[in-house]
Amino acid sequence: MKIDIRRLFRPGLVVVLIYILLLVGPVAGFNLPTIWESIRSSPKLLVQYLIIGLANGSITAIIALGYTMVYGIIELINFAHGDVYMIGVFTALTTISVTGTINSTNPTQIILGMALALVAAIVVCALLNTFIERVAYRRLRNSPRLAPLISAIGMSFIVENIGLIWAGQSWLVPSFGTTGGGAQKYFPDLLSALMKAWGHDINLLANTGIGLRFTVKDLMVIALAGILMIGLRLFIQRTTLGKAMRATSQNRDAARMLGIDIDRVISLTFLIGGGLAGAAGLMSGLYNGNAWWFMGFRAGLDAFTAAVLGGIGNITGAMLGGMLIGLLASFSDGYLNSGYTHAWVFAILVLVLVFRPTGLLGEQTGEKA
Amino acid sequence: MNNQLRIAVILGIAGGLITFLFGGWSVSITGLLVGITIGLTTRGLHKVEGFRKSSLQILPSALSGAGALLVVSLIQNYWISPAIGTKPGNLNFTIESNLIACIALIAIAMILQGLNGLPANQARKWRLVTLGILVVAYPFIDSAANLGWTSQLIFALIFVILGLGLNIVVGYAGLLDLGYAAFFAIGAYTAGMLNSPLHDIHINFWIVIWIAAAIAAIAGILLGSPTLGLSGDYLAIVTLGFGEIVPVLFQNLKQVTLNEPFTCWIIPGIQKLFGSTSTVSCVTLFNNPNLTGAALGITPIGRPWFPFIGQLPTADLNSVHYSLSLGNKIYFYIGEFHSENPTPWYFLILAIILFTIFFASRLRDSRLGRAWMAIREDELAAAQMGIDPVRTKLLAFSMGATFSGFAGAFYGAYIRGIFPSVFDFSTSIIILCCVILGGIGNINGVLVGGLVITTADRLFLPALKDFLGNLLNTTILPALSSHPILQAAIAQNANPILWRPFLFGLTLVIMMAIRPEGLIPSAQRRQELHAAEDTPNVVGSSATKK
Repeated sequence: MKIDIRRLFRPGLVVVLIYILLLVGPVAGFNLPTIWESIRSSPKLLVQYLIIGLANGSITAIIALGYTMVYGIIELINFAHGDVYMIGVFTALTTISVTGTINSTNPTQIILGMALALVAAIVVCALLNTFIERVAYRRLRNSPRLAPLISAIGMSFIVENIGLIWAGQSWLVPSFGTTGGGAQKYFPDLLSALMKAWGHDINLLANTGIGLRFTVKDLMVIALAGILMIGLRLFIQRTTLGKAMRATSQNRDAARMLGIDIDRVISLTFLIGGGLAGAAGLMSGLYNGNAWWFMGFRAGLDAFTAAVLGGIGNITGAMLGGMLIGLLASFSDGYLNSGYTHAWVFAILVLVLVFRPTGLLGEQTGEKA
Repeated sequence: MNNQLRIAVILGIAGGLITFLFGGWSVSITGLLVGITIGLTTRGLHKVEGFRKSSLQILPSALSGAGALLVVSLIQNYWISPAIGTKPGNLNFTIESNLIACIALIAIAMILQGLNGLPANQARKWRLVTLGILVVAYPFIDSAANLGWTSQLIFALIFVILGLGLNIVVGYAGLLDLGYAAFFAIGAYTAGMLNSPLHDIHINFWIVIWIAAAIAAIAGILLGSPTLGLSGDYLAIVTLGFGEIVPVLFQNLKQVTLNEPFTCWIIPGIQKLFGSTSTVSCVTLFNNPNLTGAALGITPIGRPWFPFIGQLPTADLNSVHYSLSLGNKIYFYIGEFHSENPTPWYFLILAIILFTIFFASRLRDSRLGRAWMAIREDELAAAQMGIDPVRTKLLAFSMGATFSGFAGAFYGAYIRGIFPSVFDFSTSIIILCCVILGGIGNINGVLVGGLVITTADRLFLPALKDFLGNLLNTTILPALSSHPILQAAIAQNANPILWRPFLFGLTLVIMMAIRPEGLIPSAQRRQELHAAEDTPNVVGSSATKK
């Protein structure tokens, strides 16, 4: 029986809950007078947080696309997806390091190095994600739901460990240094170097006198996320393969009867999702300037939250959810308490799942899970 | 019969391989363990009446198992020891330890198999008695053999308790909980805050452990209630969320200030809008106390002590011992609760485990337990039959959490300190691993799973690391001196501790692929998990798209 949780929350209870939030919220940084005061004293900072939030949200959104596609087609939370993204960051960093782009000041070399890193990250992540599907999920497709979920968690641990080992190989990537595999690694700020080589400032608003930072990096990340989302939407709506994917997600057995090769369609979904994660990996490395073996866990959970928030299975929803989560994280870092950002994101996830499991844009009704 | 022989030889070789890692007296203990395993896995033999006849049945297997163990152990002593740079044991010691190993193996295997010849209820009783004697005798055998495994075994037993608690939620009620470490944390922090210098509260451990269990149970209800409408993946994700939020809270609760919102800013703010000055004084409930010790954790946490047996602790801790004594005679010497002395801790955790097993099995067979299983199978049908799903699910969450409260309180006292980083996602997954590897829904399975996983994690990986390290330094690396890069790469990465998450993940993936029901599954679970293979079209699609 579906328990209608909303029935339990009568208006009186809602008032009590709001009071508790106001009372206990300041512990986690939710202190309305302080927030109001800091917004009033410098409204520009609000715009700055908005820009940072949108840029980070774009990265989250690209990862969320992979989650939402996979969940849409085989109803599996691909736990390893966030870690595939982490492998993307390390692939890009290794490519940049091995090709000698890392300390280059030559614009042509920087552009070529970044292009090569993008291709390498996309290819490695796409193949890795397809491999994971083949090894860990395919044979469990008709098992009870618990089995593939646990297999996915196992795969996530395996990929994380590969990242940990990778980050320790300083003979391969000299810039990893001697801090060991567990430490955060520096990702070179190539876009700044490129703009400097061309004689421009990285900040697009530097000469306008507004006093805000809107950098080439922000522009690139947001634009790329938009392009990828529109491209993916067109692919799914307009092409034959996209149609096959939609058919498979609606009813696998019927799709098989109509001659669609289910295994191939699912592999393709993982391939595309992995490629997107790889692209997000390079973006995130260039934007945030670091690489860490454990970054995939947090990013993956954020992205999954984004996918659920937007309505799982919905491409536009994943984009919207990613932006919202990015904004929430940015405002929490800025106005609440950065120590609790993780908890706030999760609180949103719990609230969405409890009160609106279909998400903001989700059309499918009822129990997916 | 042949099959039985083969299993015995494989077990003997496996036991011998363990001695590769530990050397010394470990062969005697492994002999004992192999004997127990051989004795308990003789289901294939046809039943013979009478203890003696039945025990003779296994003699060939036990002998060949002992032979295999002996051969591998001698290989260890004479070939492997020099290769890892240790001296082989002298002849007297080798003969003694291997002889004890073989005798223990054969004797225990024959006793356990002999019991199969008795009537079923007697066999069960005596089997429990035999294993009980071994379990009680273990710490003394361990300290006699100078192995020092007991302190690690205690960690394994903590995880067994956690596994038994999680088994109630996941196994009985079918609610996949990926944040179970949150309850472990809540139990441990409750015990830590009530029995440490942090707030200068020192409540006796024997009381704190009950408070911790009660708080954990309440937390189970509180965190369970928002998830009632969810099932499957979404339930898993929400519990994972709680599992992440709780340690974040404990990590950050260092300067907690609670101001009553109406008196502090709402009413003054409104008054300010109308131009009058504030007339209400601000009510502050908390002002900057350090609630949880933040990232530094809570340390030291008070240890348990016996109020009636033995003496009260004095300044000189080494001179005080606790023992069950009448008059001047000491009957049962276990020593005091101290970091260097694992024996009393071992018996305490054993007592908690027995308590947990008793309650878990009584709960399973009770009306509530049957309600859990009905909910697990089909919530809608169960609700139609008059089971209240809200109450049943909440009870599952709180009962499951209770046991983690015990485990948390014990853990805090045993380690003497708790840190927020201990209770992260990977701990939840290790507990889940224990349940899944052993067999979801089966108490014996969870016992075996918890012991296997945690001893592998705490005992074998460090030993394997030392073994590989010594082997590399003594034999392999000098041979590679002409390839410095390869040498450095091997030296850096041949560390099993580094590969720990990989091994955990691999265990989960392989178990799901070949034996999703676990090592010792409950009969019901096995049927369910293999139903899809028998009738893929009907059951498979309805089970996946419920």
